[in-house]
Parts: sequence; C-alpha cells; structure tokens
Amino acid sequence: MSKQINVALIGNPNTGKTSVFNQLTGLNQKVGNYPGITVEKKEGICKLPRGVKAHILDLPGTYSLNTTSLDESVAVELLLNKNAKDHPDVAIVISDVENLKRNLFLFTQIKDLKIPTILVINMADRMSRKGITLDIDLLEKKLDTKIALVSTRKKVGIDRLKELIADYKNLSVAPNVDTTVIAPEYFKSLRETFPNEDLYKLWLVITQDVNFMPLEKNLVKDSSSFNTKSKSELKRLQQKETIKRYQFINSILKETYKVDINAAKGLKATLDKILTHKIFGYLIFFVILLTIFQAIYDWSSIPMDFIDETFASASEWVKTTLPPGMLTNLIAEGILSGIGGIVIFIPQIAFLFLFISLLEESGYMSRVVFLMDRVMRPFGLSGKSVVPLISGTACAIPAVMATRTIENWKERLITILVTPFTTCSARLPVYLIIIALVIPEGRFFGLGYQALTLMLLYLIGFGAAIISAMVLNKVLTIKTRTFFVMEMPNYKLPLIKNVTYTVWEKTKSFVLGAGKIILAISIILWFLGSNGFTDKYVNAESIVENRIEKEGLSSYNQESIAYNLSIYQESLNDSIAKNVYHLAPEQLIDSTNQLKQTLLDKAKNQEIASYKLENSYIGNMGKAIEPLVKPLGYDWKIGIALITSFAAREVFVSTLATIYSVGSDEEDTIKNRMAAEVNADTKKPLFNLASGISLLLFYAFAMQCMSTLAIVKRETNSWRWPLAQLVFMSLFAYIVALVAYQILK
Amino acid sequence: MELFQQIVVYIIVGLALVYLVGKFLLPRSLFSSKKRPKKVCGEDDCGCH
Repeated sequence: MSKQINVALIGNPNTGKTSVFNQLTGLNQKVGNYPGITVEKKEGICKLPRGVKAHILDLPGTYSLNTTSLDESVAVELLLNKNAKDHPDVAIVISDVENLKRNLFLFTQIKDLKIPTILVINMADRMSRKGITLDIDLLEKKLDTKIALVSTRKKVGIDRLKELIADYKNLSVAPNVDTTVIAPEYFKSLRETFPNEDLYKLWLVITQDVNFMPLEKNLVKDSSSFNTKSKSELKRLQQKETIKRYQFINSILKETYKVDINAAKGLKATLDKILTHKIFGYLIFFVILLTIFQAIYDWSSIPMDFIDETFASASEWVKTTLPPGMLTNLIAEGILSGIGGIVIFIPQIAFLFLFISLLEESGYMSRVVFLMDRVMRPFGLSGKSVVPLISGTACAIPAVMATRTIENWKERLITILVTPFTTCSARLPVYLIIIALVIPEGRFFGLGYQALTLMLLYLIGFGAAIISAMVLNKVLTIKTRTFFVMEMPNYKLPLIKNVTYTVWEKTKSFVLGAGKIILAISIILWFLGSNGFTDKYVNAESIVENRIEKEGLSSYNQESIAYNLSIYQESLNDSIAKNVYHLAPEQLIDSTNQLKQTLLDKAKNQEIASYKLENSYIGNMGKAIEPLVKPLGYDWKIGIALITSFAAREVFVSTLATIYSVGSDEEDTIKNRMAAEVNADTKKPLFNLASGISLLLFYAFAMQCMSTLAIVKRETNSWRWPLAQLVFMSLFAYIVALVAYQILK
Repeated sequence: MELFQQIVVYIIVGLALVYLVGKFLLPRSLFSSKKRPKKVCGEDDCGCH
C-alpha cells in the first residue's frame, strides 16, 4: 500500500484557497473543528499520479506567520510542531496573481522553516485582463521552488499541481532569506543556547504573542549564554525581518513580474486613485458621511413620527377601551411606551446599517478604513473605529454593534468604551431644553450663543472620546499586535440579498437583544412611579384636594389657566366680531365656564399625579439621592429625572414634564415651567447658568443609557467592561458637573 | 376586575424583575447547560469577532 502524504494548503485570505482545496479533493472531504476550539478544520483525500494518496488540510487563511488570531495560530502551530499528527510533508502556498508581492511574504516565511513548499499562483485567468506577465521559470529559480499557475475558475493547472505534490521529495528545502543578518549577535547566542533547534523556528516561537495551545513552551535549563531581548527590541527586529523579506521579494518580482499599466487601467485602479487620494479621498468621505447622516435624520424622521403617533394612539385607545385599572395603566403607560421606546429606534438603526452595508458591499469601506487608519492610530484606534464613532452621533447602540468589523480586540474594546461619549440623538432633547433655559439668545460673529453651545457640546463629546481612547490605549495591558494588512476588494454593485440580510439581522439583533431589557426596565420604572408605600401616596387625592380647597391651585396652574382662558376669550370675541359665530352673552359665559372647569379638573389631576409621583417609590428614591445631587445644583425632582433617564437619556425631559405637572411635552411649556422653578435653599431660579451648565456637562459625559450598557455587555460578553464604563463615565460626569457648578454659582 | 388586573400587573412586574435579575445579577451557568469555551470572548483569539 502506498504511503499517504500530508499536504497543508495555506495562504492569505481571499486567494481562492478553498477553491483549490475543492478541486483537489472533490467530494472526498470532511469539515470539523480543531480539538477544543471553534476553528473550522477542513480536510480531504486527493489521489495523485503514480498511486500516491495525499491527505489535504485546508488551513485557516493567514497573512503571515506572525499570528494575531486563534485561526492563524492554528496554522502556525501545525507548521512548527513536527510531532503534530497533521504536520505537512509538503506545504502548498496559494497566492493571487494580482497580490503576489504580499502573498510571497508568507511563502518565504514557510520556505524558511525548511518545509518543502510549492507556490500556486491562482486566478491566472485574470492575467491578460490586468496586463500581467510572469516569467515562471525565472521565478521558480529565484524562489528555489516549483510553481503551478492555476485558474480554479477555468479549472486549469490542477493536474500540474498534483504532479508537483507527488514529486515533493525533489523540492528544495533551502531557505529564501537569511534572517540571522538582522541581528547577528543575537542569533549567534541563540544558536549557542539551542544548538539542535532550527533558528528561524526558534525566532518565530520567541516572537509570538498568541500562545499556541498544544505547544508547551518548556523552560530553558541553562540560558546563561543567551541574551534575551525586550519586547520592543524584538518588535524592532521583527520589523527588520519584514523589510528584509520585502527587499528580497521586490528584487525577484522586478525581474519576473511585469504589469502593463495601459492594459491594467481598469475602473478599480481609477477609482482607487481618487478614493484613497490624500486630499480628495478625505473630502469624498466627508461628503458621503454628511449625505448619510442627513439621509438618516431626514428619512428616519417620517417613520419615527409615524411610530410615535401610532404608539400614542394605541396608548390612548387602550385607556379608553379597556376597563380602568392597574393593568390598563401598565399596558398604556408602561408596556406600550416601553415597546415604543424600542421600536422608535428601528428606522435609525435600519438606515444606518443599510448605508454601512452598501458601503461595505460596494468595496468602498475598505478604502475608508485604509484612509483613516493613519489618522486614528495615534489615539489607539484603528481606521475601522471611524464608522462606530460617527454612527454614535445617531445612537450608541448600533455604533457599538458596528465595532464588530474591528478584528483587533484592544482597538475594538477601546472603540466600544469611548463611543458613548459622542453626542447621540437622545442627548439632544436634554441639551435643547437646558440651553434654551440658561444660555442667552445673543449672537457672536453672526452665530447664536445657543447654537455655539450646542456645537461645543458635540465637540466636547468627540474630544472626550478621543482623549479617553488615548488614555485607555496607555492603561489597557491587553496583549495585542496590529499588522494593518487590508484587502482591497474589487468594486461591485451591492447584492440586494446581502444588504437586506445584514439590515434584517442587525435590526432583529437590536430589537430582541436590547429590546427585552428596555421593556423590562420600562415596566419596573412604571411600577415604581405608579406605586408608593407612604400614607402620603395612598391618600394623595384627598391631601391634594384639601390643599387646593384651602390654598387653591399652584400659582403656575392658576397663571396657566388664566392665560388659556384669556386666549380662548380673545379668539371667541374675534370670531363673534367677524360674524363667524353667533353667540348670546349667556352662551359665551357658559362656554368659557365649561372650558374653565375642564382646565381646573385637568390642573387638579396634574397636581394629584405630581404629588403621587413625589411620594411614589421612585419619588422617595429621588429624595434619597437629593443630598448627592444638591452639590451639583439640582433638587430631588431633577434627581428623579436622573434616575429615570438612566433607562434612556431622553426620558429626562418627559420625567420633568410629568413632575412639573405640565401635561404637555411642548418644549416651550416645559421651558416656562422649568424657568419658574425656584431653588428651595437659594430662593433663586433652579435652572440658572451654573446648574444648567452643570446639567449639560453631566449629560455630556454620563453613561445614562441602560440599552448601551446592555449592548456593551453583549458585545464584550462580560459585565466587567460596561460596569467599568458606567463607573468611570458617571464619576467623571459627576466631578465635572460639580466643579462647573461650584465655579459658576 | 380590579383585583384581577392587580394580580396580572404584579405577575408582569415580577417577571420583568426576575428577567433583569437573571440577566444581570445571576451567573449565566445557572441558565445554560452549555460549557463556557476555554477562550473567553474579549481576547484577540476568542473567535467571536
């Protein structure tokens, strides 16, 4: 029986490695996992000439033997460990004819491990279209190997590859590059310490950050003759090795690989020149971003308004149709508003992911990432962090989800942790009302103070994200290494099926993931706001009615009723004068009295609701935290709003609206009521410049979003990071708000 | 009818509370029979991203 040889297929991602594997093995293949890990293991049997059989292993795609992921470490471990069951007798490096230079880097590394190696140049059918000519004989000679020019698409070259595998014993195992020249002294001491080991193999083991699980690193018994190097020195040497290899590759390709530029002038080359241009590239990206955000805001507003109105109508319908009681109130005020609070974000999320998906599918996103990488790297972020940071201005939830495209864990984690600093749309209602209250309406160089303050808050948010990223980059000790190798895929028209699938998956993931948590919190908040244990809560109606009987309605409600009545009378008199209505004086009085009674009832109900809220569980909680928020210039009512808005920032305004018994969420009305609030201690307006700026800064920095925390938990699969984020952001927000108030008061 | 509504409300609130406690406070192993992978997500090689 003939011997079965082990063959490993290895190559960069997107080189058609799996197509070669499929053509070699046909149906004789099986897919499983590597022991103990979730990396897919594909293996198969191939019949070779002269009755030889080959066990083919399709290794995970890798750019080099300097691993950054578990997938890559599987490939490297197999090549380094001669005792492994599947250690290859021959390695086949699959390369793509258009990216030969990059692909040869991996080839030279494997060749230097003294494993018989065959080079497959795949996608040969593209050569004439791209104006590529190759001197295969010379390339074989220079690389000291055998080459198979293959086109899996046209099923060409596989037979030659099988011949080469069968003759693997004739392949040279001489290394391509002498790595020892990068540090002769270091390699000399390495050789003296480990005389029986292969030097390049030792070098690879020393410079790996990712542990190879089955490979144990034994302690060296006597290392006195071996001078170890620091991590930074090793990295510098690794860079030298990379340069050395590319020098070798460049010198070879100069003689063997020619591209006729005139023939290669395709759409991709032209577009790449423009889209990755040092000036135009950024300008085009900026314009695309502006267009996307404008579209997100404009297009989302229509379905969002529709959703808002639908849920408001549904709530109203429930209240008027179902029998009155706790359950009806829970459905109308808790469950429906909770579901509405989730569903209302769907348009924004769907549109954002529609655009991201279109950019990714078309191949443009890879160019953006390449373009931005240089700008973001000093801050510990990657080019891929740009999309989440920008998406964060709409909503941090899809933004955190968008970090999935960042492969490097440290960069991804930093992006997740800093994204909530960017000003999301939920902060806007808070900003707008506080700015309108405390910032004067004057102008500075034609720009309003209020608009400038809003812009400043956006800049503060973005600045906080960038600075935090810089700090986290220094503080986090996560072992990671970044080799920014970016595949530039061809431009193509996005497939509707793929785009639809992405949008559906992301939206579903949000609704079913964070949605359940938001709904549960809304139910609990409603319960805490609608129930209480004190006598004041239980007897709220009689207490408020007695108070109104003795002291009358609150001054605000009295003024409000008087104002509404005067407006009504004016309009009525005007209509009578214009002969629109014909009313007798008695009818006029009746009509006015009717409206007055309605307004009085409404005001009384509002005051009861306000009193009940004040003495509800949540009201008591607000009072309990009052000592904590007082130094920031807030009272217990703002304290309640801070608690409720922990579910979502925008809840701040609606909570204050309820507390102040306004009953309407019209900004102006709330604004007037808030402006009339007096600080019980200072007897000055509660919302003044000091407390207003303090509140703005608090909301700029605080992690007041339960859904974001839930998403961060899901994306990091740990409570450690969202809790750290919550504690840091809350403490930072508190300190900044405290300092601002104490200085400005 | 009022009492029935109250009972249903308490059940819903209770379920919401149990859900949140289970989700955020109790260890996941109590709800899942699946073994946690050796490599926890949050490392370069977790294979989750």
